[in-house]
Amino acid sequence: MFGALYLVDGSADALLEVAREVTPRFEICGRGDLALDLAGLTRLLGHPHALARELRRSAAARGLHVAIAMAGTCTAARLLARHAGRVVTAAAAPIVVAPGAEAAVVAPLPLALVADIEEPSTLAPSNALPHDRTVAPSHDLLSTFRRWGLQTLGDLAALPADAVATRLGTDGLRWHRLAEGRDLRPLRPAVAEERFEQALDLEWPIEGLEPLSFVLSRLLEPLAAHLERRGRGAAVLHLRLHLVTRAVHERSLELPAPMRDARTLRTLLLLDLESHPAPAAIDRVVVAVDPTPARVLQFSLLQRPLPSPEQLSTLTARLTAVMGEGRCGSPMVADSWRPGAFEMKPFSPTPNLQAPTSTSRTPTVALRRFRQPVSARVRTNEGTPVHVAIDRRGLDGGCVERCAGPWRTSGDWWKNDPPVGGGVVGVGSCRAWDRDEWDVTLGDGATYRIHRDRATGAWFVEGIYD
Amino acid sequence: MANHALAPLALLETALRARKLDRTLTTTLPARPSAEAAAATGIARLDEVLRGGLPRGQLSEIVGARSSGRSAVLLQLVAAATRRGEIAALVDTFDQFDVASAAAADVDLTRLLWIRGIGSPPDRAVERALKALNLVLQAGGFGVVTIDLADVPASALRAMPFTTWLRVQRTVEGSDTACVIVGPQPLGRSAGGLTLMLDGRPEYSRPQGSGLRPQTEARGLGPGACLSGVDLAVRVVSPRRQLDDEIRVRADVR
Repeated sequence: MFGALYLVDGSADALLEVAREVTPRFEICGRGDLALDLAGLTRLLGHPHALARELRRSAAARGLHVAIAMAGTCTAARLLARHAGRVVTAAAAPIVVAPGAEAAVVAPLPLALVADIEEPSTLAPSNALPHDRTVAPSHDLLSTFRRWGLQTLGDLAALPADAVATRLGTDGLRWHRLAEGRDLRPLRPAVAEERFEQALDLEWPIEGLEPLSFVLSRLLEPLAAHLERRGRGAAVLHLRLHLVTRAVHERSLELPAPMRDARTLRTLLLLDLESHPAPAAIDRVVVAVDPTPARVLQFSLLQRPLPSPEQLSTLTARLTAVMGEGRCGSPMVADSWRPGAFEMKPFSPTPNLQAPTSTSRTPTVALRRFRQPVSARVRTNEGTPVHVAIDRRGLDGGCVERCAGPWRTSGDWWKNDPPVGGGVVGVGSCRAWDRDEWDVTLGDGATYRIHRDRATGAWFVEGIYD
Repeated sequence: MANHALAPLALLETALRARKLDRTLTTTLPARPSAEAAAATGIARLDEVLRGGLPRGQLSEIVGARSSGRSAVLLQLVAAATRRGEIAALVDTFDQFDVASAAAADVDLTRLLWIRGIGSPPDRAVERALKALNLVLQAGGFGVVTIDLADVPASALRAMPFTTWLRVQRTVEGSDTACVIVGPQPLGRSAGGLTLMLDGRPEYSRPQGSGLRPQTEARGLGPGACLSGVDLAVRVVSPRRQLDDEIRVRADVR
């Protein structure tokens, strides 16, 4: 037995409460349009008429004007409820159809009702009033049927199904089945929004990460089990630490991939708290996650597996704790002419879908770049460097054996900042540069890239060719 | 007479072979390791001599003076690993990695984990770099893991405990990772790894018809001169094999 509630006037949220009072299995077909699974409820609430009265009483108590219908199929119940909501007066009694009589009962209903329940997109937007909803009269099939002279569902149901399918295809067959009051698919119950949160009040305030580690394990393990039962993973992990000072220390971790391994989540939280510790003792711990559908992995027999996102997240967090924020990731070539410009992005390699290649190539000379150019004293002869003295311990200067240059480069001169000696390279630098670059090989065989800042005339070592 | 004397020897050898007693620990090793057991460097001549590349599960070294081509060989190794679909990690002790050079060497940068060290003081920088190296090796899953110690002062190298590289070797053993140190001198001295000793000689040339090239005459060179590449001489030191030949490779400027 199925039921349908069609809201004529009132709040759609209140209608959901009415449905929840009767059954947890109901489908939201549209705003103010619910289909209820009433199977087995007769033993609990009595005859279907009693059930219908209970629904009507509950709706009236909330000030709702609702059309109610019950039938052996969900389609028939919805058609009847819609028709009742539009045509019959508000005082009409709920409609209850005995199982097996659906086709006969829906036969006199107008054919346009099928277009209404067939296309959810024809429903009014959620902020519109329920009585603004209109039947979709412009449906192609509806026009066809009207040209054929069909007016009611019974007219369509009386046609041979195979003849309708031959002329109109599967869409025509669907309409034919709906006109008979038959269901095309099972009911899809709406799932209530779940909260994935765990909290623990501590008898004694705790300080330090070690005792907190045990508390986090205790909270995260049931949370991970809950996520696993629901086939979900954590997209964002929230930690709220209520302190003895009545302050709340909050941290949120955005995870690179949905994950639900309790140990990984605990490690990530602890590593984050190492760099952002709570300022006072903790007396309440709350862990919550924003759920997202879990990952589905398909490993390859032919390719080397990549580390899982859990492993990479833990590794990145540990490396960040050692090296500092923003000092590990994947490099990217920046869209800039600035020497040494680059960008960093989080390290998240994707599986290689192309066949791996192992072709040999000619090596390329690499530059070992000083992120902050090292100042140097350069003696020149007719503009050509002849001797370089480098102002850094460990870097030997000397006479220039061979050199090539200069290559003049400049950029960002259209910005307001004046050129600064050395021109800081790398991320975030936006100062102008204007310089002459030279490649010089010194007496010890080392080849350097040096440059002279044209604004100040100062010399700098940019890097070593290696 | 000679045939008569050799007959018992042949008989003895046959009997030993039948009982599989004709082998020593050295000869039971596979004659040629498979490609899976080695991480190819991407330099054909070098891979041929190394029998496929640098051994996985071992600690190898790229050693040389400044401008000897250490970074060129390192980038080639990383590029070859990323081309194979593997992921690689670079622990950059003094933050001297040049992204443009890596892109020119055809490194798939999305598959490279770059760990940027903080250069000063050198002792602390080396300590942090070694911690990072251990974390990466323990995480596993990387085809090539490299640590760049090329510009570490000799005093800082001397201050490192001698067990450091033994521990690294223990961590990497049995894994599919080829761990590589880039340094000014041999440090690891692993029994299973290889050491590539490099020496480089810069080459200057004068490209024809290049309007963007130098405007003035350089020292000892004519107008239009530029650094065109480095001639690398690679000597392979292996505790298991004697390799006397020097391999000559050229690295181009791109």
